[in-house]
Amino acid sequence: MEDCLAKKMEITVSEAEKRTGRNAMNMQETYTAYLIETRAVEPQSEGQCAPVDSLWRRYSEFELLRTYLSVTYPHIVVPPLPEKRADFVWHKLSADNMDPDFVERRRIGLENFLLRVASHPVLCQDKIFYSFLTQEGGWREMVNETGFQIKADSRLKALNATFRVKNPDKRFTELKHYSDELQSVISHLLRVRARVADRLYGVYKVHGNYGRVFSEWSAIEKEMGDGLQSAGHHMDVYAASIDDILEEEEHYADQLKEYLFYAEALRAVCRKHELMQYDLEMAAQDLTSKKQQCEELATGTVRTFSLKGMTSKLFGQETPEQRETKVKILEEQIQEGEEQLKSKNLESRDFVKSAWADIERFKEQKNHDLKEALISYAVMQISMCKKGIQVWTNAKECFSKM
Amino acid sequence: AAGAPKPLPSSGPKSLREMPHPLATSSSEEMGPAFTPSPDPLLPRGIADKDLSLPNGTPVDTSSPASSSSLLNRLQLDDDLDGETRDLFVTVDDPKKHVCTMETYITYRVTTKTTRAEFDLPEYSVRRRYQDFDWLRNKLEESQPTHLIPPLPEKFVVKGVVDRFSEEFVETRRKALDKFLKRITDHPVLSFNEHFNVFLTAKDLNAYKKQGMALLSKMGESVKYVTGGYKLRSRPLEFAAIGEYLDTFSLKLGTIDRIAQRIIKEQLEYLVELREYGPVYSTWGGLEVELSEPLEGVSACIGNCCTALEELSEDMTEEFLPVLREYLLYSESMKNVLKKRDQVQAEYEAKLEAVALKKEDRPKVPTDVEKCQDRVECFNADLKADMERWQNNKRQDFRQLLMGMADKNIQYYEKCLTAWESIIPLLQDKPETK
Repeated sequence: MEDCLAKKMEITVSEAEKRTGRNAMNMQETYTAYLIETRAVEPQSEGQCAPVDSLWRRYSEFELLRTYLSVTYPHIVVPPLPEKRADFVWHKLSADNMDPDFVERRRIGLENFLLRVASHPVLCQDKIFYSFLTQEGGWREMVNETGFQIKADSRLKALNATFRVKNPDKRFTELKHYSDELQSVISHLLRVRARVADRLYGVYKVHGNYGRVFSEWSAIEKEMGDGLQSAGHHMDVYAASIDDILEEEEHYADQLKEYLFYAEALRAVCRKHELMQYDLEMAAQDLTSKKQQCEELATGTVRTFSLKGMTSKLFGQETPEQRETKVKILEEQIQEGEEQLKSKNLESRDFVKSAWADIERFKEQKNHDLKEALISYAVMQISMCKKGIQVWTNAKECFSKM
Repeated sequence: AAGAPKPLPSSGPKSLREMPHPLATSSSEEMGPAFTPSPDPLLPRGIADKDLSLPNGTPVDTSSPASSSSLLNRLQLDDDLDGETRDLFVTVDDPKKHVCTMETYITYRVTTKTTRAEFDLPEYSVRRRYQDFDWLRNKLEESQPTHLIPPLPEKFVVKGVVDRFSEEFVETRRKALDKFLKRITDHPVLSFNEHFNVFLTAKDLNAYKKQGMALLSKMGESVKYVTGGYKLRSRPLEFAAIGEYLDTFSLKLGTIDRIAQRIIKEQLEYLVELREYGPVYSTWGGLEVELSEPLEGVSACIGNCCTALEELSEDMTEEFLPVLREYLLYSESMKNVLKKRDQVQAEYEAKLEAVALKKEDRPKVPTDVEKCQDRVECFNADLKADMERWQNNKRQDFRQLLMGMADKNIQYYEKCLTAWESIIPLLQDKPETK
């Protein structure tokens, strides 16, 4: 197993910059560019560090890369990009794409995306991906030259179109169902979490009012004054602490979001299988009917009702020569069809095999990552509780000195 | 204390040193069996910290209406008035609902333990309802107009908004009534008031209420101060300062009350969201295999935090807010006493002026003007003493209240901390190790 790119190369998205330029319609637009820095991880002689290469990319180029990868490797659960627009925001967060906090979180998300791809055993070997990281100019043209758009199955985009597949691999059907449920439950979770964050913010901030009133009250007191004043200060500290707490929690939300989008990628693979299976079944069906036609023409018996048969009855039989030509054409088509069916079958089986391998890899990754995310969430909650205990203990001491 | 003159049974507080020892042989006075009350654990120990030195005033004729404060001036109470030197203990508990044809109401048990001579027995247990407490307060205000009477919890509750018979409401009220009686008990003058005595001891309080006027004279009840007609030119500086203090204090308390209510409201809204949040993890757990237990764990954890938060909000509503409201009522009472004092001073100044205008040869000041002067001086002394006591109590009470609030919050966070810490090992668990 070849070492994936991530082990050979350090990749970071280190900066984000606001840029203005002209778009395809020669209109001025503002966008954010991200600096990708790469550095070879090689045993170096002492004191020497590998040189850092860098180039700027914007979000639309990341999108192009991902689209290319999805089309080129349909059996792979391709890592998702961070969200294009801020979703699941609670009131304090901005839904503005230009907001510095959003840009910062997106920068981290893009870096994460590149690292995911670089550590994928199959994707990391892709040349286009490598060029994305290392080749500044002419990358777009290079991608388009691969002609991947032609390979793209437009039906994949039609999410709701149903194809009556008679014999899908049950595992994929179950997996598609799972990915739908996963999307639904994580969306719900993110929505409620945002509301929880909103409310918690309110609780903490109102306590800040105690700070002010205690201070005012302490002015008219003699013995109680000092205790009240210093307790009020702790209330201010308490109220201010929520900002950092909730900012940290956004990282947890981002981790969940990644898997929300991963569910989409998972679904795409299942969908691809469905379509392949559909094509296969259609091809098999077509072959069967052609064979039947051939048989009927050869033996002259009409086993099944067909319009052709009826019309030939009504308008007269064909000449033997005409029939023979037809049979010959059909036989050719049948042969072609059988070869095609064979290769389609093979393709399909290969797809199922390699897709399922990647799905297993993905499952393990998902279980590991989400467990880590839950642990870090619990750690955040523990930290918040400890801070709360600290502040109120301090306040209590001040009150005791009243 | 041998040789000390035997004081009249109902002449007000005695110096502790003057009080005959319960076990000492006494010829005419009947004392109940020796009873040293053990410190009631329910009673606040805050009294021990009180500074009860009182301003020394000149002793005034015991027949004057202000006899209570003159005796007060002679009184030197110990700094450490702990359970052993205290001789009167009162508790309010055991609320019971009574359903009658005309009405439904709650009664509370009022238990008294005492060694005081003013009480025939060392122990009493009676049942009283809110209107009895209200009656007592009115009587105290009438009979001790120079003193600050502790407030009662509010009389009227809006029907439909508050359930008068809910456990929480009854308990909150019980605590307030208990506090009310304890404050009277701790007061060196009010605790010797005859109405208070009857309230604590009478089997049939209603019969006594009807008697009413007959007993008023015995206590040396002061003539009702006529309010109205006299306007004070200017309040003396020290009382003006008290008035200003009370105004600002009330304002700040009002603000704190609003903040506390707002916090409770925000907490409850937070709770609503948390209640939806926890179960989503559980739903997710149902979808997963390996993650099923960790997700269920998180769900349960959030549930525990919900319970803890509920408890915190309840505590704040039931224990914090009522005390704030009580002190607002207290401020109002004190402001009223200040106004009454102003009236008394105004009357005195008016009469003095009237005399001065007559320009008689005799420089002798007529007795009724002298009496007014006495009244003013005694009122001022009483008020100052009460204010100081009130300030001390206030400091104690708020210290306790705010420490309690901090404590409740600490407990809330500790409960949540325990919950989250306990699921870390569950989250880190590897399936193989199970």
